[in-house]
Amino acid sequence: MNFEEFQNSARLYVIGALEPEELQDFEGARKQYGTAAEDFIQQCYALHEAFALSLKPAKASEAIKNRLMAMVRERGPKQPPA
Amino acid sequence: MSSAADSNVQASSGGEVEAEIPPQKMASSVPIELGAPSDVDLMLRIQAEDADALSQLYDRYDGILKALILRIIHNDTEADDLLQEVFLEIWNQAKNFSPQKGKPLGWMVTLTRRRAIDALRKKQAYNRAEERLQAETEQQPLAWVENVTDKEIRAGDTRALMAKVINSLPEAQQQVIELAFFQGMSQREIAFHTNIPLGTVKTRLELGLKKIYDGLKELKDEL
Repeated sequence: MNFEEFQNSARLYVIGALEPEELQDFEGARKQYGTAAEDFIQQCYALHEAFALSLKPAKASEAIKNRLMAMVRERGPKQPPA
Repeated sequence: MSSAADSNVQASSGGEVEAEIPPQKMASSVPIELGAPSDVDLMLRIQAEDADALSQLYDRYDGILKALILRIIHNDTEADDLLQEVFLEIWNQAKNFSPQKGKPLGWMVTLTRRRAIDALRKKQAYNRAEERLQAETEQQPLAWVENVTDKEIRAGDTRALMAKVINSLPEAQQQVIELAFFQGMSQREIAFHTNIPLGTVKTRLELGLKKIYDGLKELKDEL
């Protein structure tokens, strides 16, 4: 797999669209290209953000936030391990 | 589909430009008021268990994350419940976020998408959602991205710019990306669902994602 093919696979990988048999080849190329591969994969995650930002925001109900904050505050700070 | 990417939720969108910027200077993904804390600041405070920071992060991103959930599970009440679970997970998993690896929104979107797709599958509502999606697709093929006006684009609105990039794709590419990203379908599932040859699905996905990726890089240069 050359690097351009790796890049195509990486974009599929971050959205979870690689088939199992492709995943094996992808992981092999990922090892082969090392840091360059990891850097590119990180950049590809920008696709997630782009898809989310392309949607019209949908406001959640205020009750949800109140419930969430009540749960968080009720739990209080986590205790350090004994 | 349980994806390899989804099983390892990492900070998402670290780019070459952002990597050179100190975390505390990184901009938010949405417009924020002057003097308001950055997303990274909020995440660091959440890591220190500051509930007010979670409240601020919620106010900033509940709309975007709920829209994403709704896009996947198509039910407003369930979307609200899942949104609450997602923010609880953000609270509990904040320690796993690293500003060096990407922006908070990317991390949250990855986490939210994974939870929503899991919920979709657990509920066994997949077939119903599929039918609704198909009906929507037939009625309004390009409905998954918002229409964007030139005025919005000129104003530099991030959402409008993102939508413009995605809107520029041929409809066939948008369709396969929609099914892969918002419905969590594998290439084979897309091929089965659309009756399109597997090789064609792969080509459309690759071309579409590359165009979006290249478009995002251009946007980063412009912004």
